[in-house]
Amino acid sequence: MTTSLKKLVTAVSTSVALMGAGHAAADIQIGIAGPMTGPVAQYGDMQFSGARMAIEQINAKGGVMGEKLVAVEYDDVCDPKQAVTVANRLVNDGVSYVIGHLCSSSTQPASDIYEDEGILMITPASTSPEITERGYELVFRTIGLDSMQGPVAGNHIAKQNPERVAIVHDKQQYGEGIATAVRDTLKDKGIEIAMFEGITAGDKDFSSLITKLKQADVDYVYFGGYHPELGLILRQARQADLDAIFMGPEGVGNKDINTIAGEAAEGLLVTLPPSFDEKAENQDLVKAFEAKGEDPSGPFVLTSYAAVQLVAEGIEAAGSKDPFDVAAALRSGSFETPIGTVQYDKAGDMKSFEFVVYEWHSDGSKTPVN
Amino acid sequence: MQDLLYFSQQLINGLTIGSAYALIAIGYTMVYGIIGMINFAHGEIYMIGAYTALIAITGLTALGLAWLPLILIVALLCAMIVSSSMGWAVERVAYRPVRGRHRLIPLISAIGMSIFLQNYVHLAQGSRNVGFPALIEGGFNFSADGAFEMSLSYMQITIFITTLICMTALSLFISRSRTGRACRAVSQDLGMASLLGIDTNRIISATFVIGAALAAVAGLLLGMYYGSVDPLFGFIAGLKAFTAAVLGGIGSIPGAMLGGLILGVSESMTSGYLSGEYKDVVSFGLLILILLFKPTGLLGKPEVEKI
Repeated sequence: MTTSLKKLVTAVSTSVALMGAGHAAADIQIGIAGPMTGPVAQYGDMQFSGARMAIEQINAKGGVMGEKLVAVEYDDVCDPKQAVTVANRLVNDGVSYVIGHLCSSSTQPASDIYEDEGILMITPASTSPEITERGYELVFRTIGLDSMQGPVAGNHIAKQNPERVAIVHDKQQYGEGIATAVRDTLKDKGIEIAMFEGITAGDKDFSSLITKLKQADVDYVYFGGYHPELGLILRQARQADLDAIFMGPEGVGNKDINTIAGEAAEGLLVTLPPSFDEKAENQDLVKAFEAKGEDPSGPFVLTSYAAVQLVAEGIEAAGSKDPFDVAAALRSGSFETPIGTVQYDKAGDMKSFEFVVYEWHSDGSKTPVN
Repeated sequence: MQDLLYFSQQLINGLTIGSAYALIAIGYTMVYGIIGMINFAHGEIYMIGAYTALIAITGLTALGLAWLPLILIVALLCAMIVSSSMGWAVERVAYRPVRGRHRLIPLISAIGMSIFLQNYVHLAQGSRNVGFPALIEGGFNFSADGAFEMSLSYMQITIFITTLICMTALSLFISRSRTGRACRAVSQDLGMASLLGIDTNRIISATFVIGAALAAVAGLLLGMYYGSVDPLFGFIAGLKAFTAAVLGGIGSIPGAMLGGLILGVSESMTSGYLSGEYKDVVSFGLLILILLFKPTGLLGKPEVEKI
């Protein structure tokens, strides 16, 4: 708690200080917008820690075109309304580059404002396809899309020859989007979908849903959504002796699911970006995180690091600080980052990004599944 | 047989959740019955009860205590004491100074209190979901020849029995005890009761304390049943319990019980036979329907308007 409070205070005081000081110092401000508080704050922690590390290391090497990068942090609580407020504050603060937002439902409305105001945005975490489907010039991401993650999950389930599959989602952009992609993949393979149903995010009681799953006698349950709901579903399903294998997207793959579900999290399947922190070429970076007492293994730490690095290299490649020039440089170049070689297509999506299926364990560790 | 088992299972699910709604609804209905205001901070009192119980359970387990009934009783007492003091303090700080003013003022004060308590817990406990240890595990299983197995867990039985005990105790208290009689008198006519020598301030405080204590019981039970708590835990539960209170007839204690059970069962039946997406639509639709035909709720007295 104290850390999130401190972060909030830092963020507020930084932004207040910046508003007061104007832009006298020749610094490049990098806005970082994501949830510092709220139910998915742990993903925000990953984002902020990755981005801060990148800024620190780039500054240590002399900054960008001789200027230092300065982080300006904003809390959107993963709430679309709050995200719009944050986006407007960024505009007022005169920030030209944003790393964020995290939740797709926040990124989508905020990106409208960034595009209108000429601010370059790179989201390290939002996987909803719609974000880059609108022909925006200044919107990029350092993560794959639901449309890539869904088929990976769908194909994995199909390979196990299940008899009946249930798909549950939380009716939000991210969860429902991924769930639909999984359903379509399974349908193409001719697998019977016994149930396709929404729950309400924030619900606590899933006994009726679980009874229904038992009745439908399913052997696989795919859940599109985040860990607070899936954690409870897993736990309540175990208590009701529901015997099915659960699978979810990267939104459920973090250690908080273990504190909620406990033993019931054992054997959960999760599609995640590959563990970038295990790559040999990233070991120096991993050590730098560990020296600061931070954990680089979260799915969004290194994607956020890469997003900052892309902004920095984009500015240098363009030789200009104008976000439109930087965007053009990002589209035409090829960049070496901790998440691999990044090349962008016209929409602002990475030309290649893979998701891997992991098996989650009750102690919070994970092993890849083939 | 298969279908019957499925139906019974959904009924059990609904009754479990409904009896917990009823426990929370009591707090809304008693306060409304006596001073005609809606205590919007009640959901937060319930959430604080759940957090206190969790802290007590964690503390006792860390101390090496292993005897489950003792852990539960101590946790329950801690939760009830903290929530009751909170309920008492909320009334003292936020409602008493504005009592007797225009109706909107205590309403705004209540909403403010609710936001304050929610944010206080955000800061004090962090905003993440915290897992509740599963203390009562296992249960009975019933199965016919088919594959579907109906289960009645010990946790569900605990919720039923505890609710039953609380409700019986409350009814006896209201109908038999001196304070209970004073409560009824105050709810009939506050001014008159005061003229007859009843310390109305004390009675009003007592209602808040009783409502909060029952909310704390629900907090512990539902925390264990669901498996996690977070600072927004009270918001939805509070909304549902308030609906239950209105459905049954706000101001009426048996009404709150009935409303809670109806709401719980209608939610689980909708999820079970239609789709989980429609459960709120159906339960709130039901509320509108009942209010259209019985504007004072199922067991509410057709009385002078209060809000």
